Amino acid sequence: MKFTIYQESRPGKRPNNEDRLAYCYSREALLMIVADGMGGHYYGEVAAQIAVQTLIETFQREAKPEIADPFLFLQKSMSNAHHAILDFSSDHRLNDSPRTTCVACLIQDNIAYWAHTGDSRLYLLRDGRVHFHTRDHSRVQLLMDQGVINAAQAAVHPERNKIYSCLGGPQQPEIEFSRKTPLEAGDVVALCTDGVWGVLPEEMLATALKSANLIQAVPMLLAQAELRGGPHADNLSIVAARWEDSYVEHPSTAISTQTMSRDTITTKLDEFGRNPAYKSELSEDEIERAIEEIRATIQKYSK
Amino acid sequence: MAQQANHALPAGFQLDDYRIERQLSLGGFSIVYLARDGAGKSVAIKEYLPNSLALRGEGAIQPVISSEHLAAFRYGMKCFFEEGRALARLSHPNVIRVLNFFRANDTVYMVMEYEHGRTLQEFIQKNRQAVTENFLRNVFTKMLNGLREVHSHKLLHLDLKPSNIYMRNDYTPVLIDFGAARQTLASDTPMLKPMYTPGFASPEHYAQRELLGPWSDIYSVGASMYACLAGAAPQAADTRMEKDQLMPAMVRWEGQYSDQLLETIDWCLCLNHLYRPQSVFALQKALTEQVSAPQQREERWLDKTFGKFLSRFKKIGNR
Repeated sequence: MKFTIYQESRPGKRPNNEDRLAYCYSREALLMIVADGMGGHYYGEVAAQIAVQTLIETFQREAKPEIADPFLFLQKSMSNAHHAILDFSSDHRLNDSPRTTCVACLIQDNIAYWAHTGDSRLYLLRDGRVHFHTRDHSRVQLLMDQGVINAAQAAVHPERNKIYSCLGGPQQPEIEFSRKTPLEAGDVVALCTDGVWGVLPEEMLATALKSANLIQAVPMLLAQAELRGGPHADNLSIVAARWEDSYVEHPSTAISTQTMSRDTITTKLDEFGRNPAYKSELSEDEIERAIEEIRATIQKYSK
Repeated sequence: MAQQANHALPAGFQLDDYRIERQLSLGGFSIVYLARDGAGKSVAIKEYLPNSLALRGEGAIQPVISSEHLAAFRYGMKCFFEEGRALARLSHPNVIRVLNFFRANDTVYMVMEYEHGRTLQEFIQKNRQAVTENFLRNVFTKMLNGLREVHSHKLLHLDLKPSNIYMRNDYTPVLIDFGAARQTLASDTPMLKPMYTPGFASPEHYAQRELLGPWSDIYSVGASMYACLAGAAPQAADTRMEKDQLMPAMVRWEGQYSDQLLETIDWCLCLNHLYRPQSVFALQKALTEQVSAPQQREERWLDKTFGKFLSRFKKIGNR
């Protein structure tokens, strides 16, 4: 695997940061997570923390070095996080259980798998454009789907922060899964909270992250978003990875010369005439060697 | 045109360090001789000499191998080497021991220990009344010790049958003729032409060779036990797959042998490889189980058969 990755979270103009984000990777798999603890609910940051930690711990346990079933992994760990939040709330006798959004993306074999609940988003950016982004589990998204309001109205809608699915709520979360998505070299996968996407036009996001240097690009983008958020800017968090490999049908047949020593040259030239693979005939040499081998074995095993 | 048989090396011929005494057997693929080594000890020598590819005339020593057959002759030699490789690694009282391997007369030879006795095939042809329950359990349990050794080396015999089980004079069996044996784990081994004997080869031998496993040899063991009782090979597995007309041992010899033995034979002969004993050990356990003597029942034939089937189903259910 080859990729560059950068994550950053800022409180904005809020007193505390209820966003949590993380990434971790093994030799063969990369996991990225963003969770936005719910403001207005008690312990929102605890819920976000539990969600991120549950996914990370599951990954650490199961990536050997690949995850056997990526979608099952996402489904299981998100559902476990939901129940862990409920457990926390009953352990502490909270009147209202804390909640969090969650978006997580697993990449292995140059294929991305993601799942989300709530309004934290995953963007797949390709060639400086938004190739795909997740659909929010929010009221305004439903209203837009029904054609009641348009995107411009949604951006200023008074209920634009209301979501109908999350981890830790009284209802079972609605977790939406992606398809298996093959990545191409140069693709950027970005996961962010509404503090980021809510204030930035998506073209701006795509252009900013087109730059190869995510370590510079991400902080600049966050500074922009914070500015646009004004005096009441929400928490802003983003984790972005630029993928440097392309999906190929049979990766095992590809040759990597990385580990070859400097003075080695590998040559493949078929013998003149018949393809040696079809040669069934034993040469004199091979007969001698076979007999030697059998004799040696007899010697070795005779008591 | 009738296939011309090869002529054996003459008695008294000095072959490497060995002196030929007489021909023991002649097969399509090889000739086996009785010979004496330098110390005067009897040995069996197997000469690679495929009938259709190499011809030795009367009084000749070197076989004639035409240039068009040379490639095929050498290819077949690979099979012979496979057998040598397989046997060389095995050292067990119930497996024939290879003593030497050498090249002469444009072909190759394998020297094996010579055992006094006869094949199980010859034995059951001449001593039908000696095939008692105890005889069967005893011979096959011991023979399976040898097969266990074979399997523990990740080898399959793949051509088990009464004529490949040799009986010493003290009735201890020895596995001979590993001509079909294959190293199961070596995937780089070229796929050689399958070799099998109809009636004794498992269904996997015919169609799905990737499914071959210990259970395939176990099918052949079941078929061999069946053949000991019947005096002839059971119906071949490929035709059984189309229309199974093999009468279960349980039905055919009921009352003459214990139900448990007959059931074990039928268990080995299951067409689905998953239903057979999965290891030699499992089969040995069944063969060494203590059972009561068979009882002749007085019921009518139909009731008898029906009851038999019912009890079988119950037992399968419990398994």
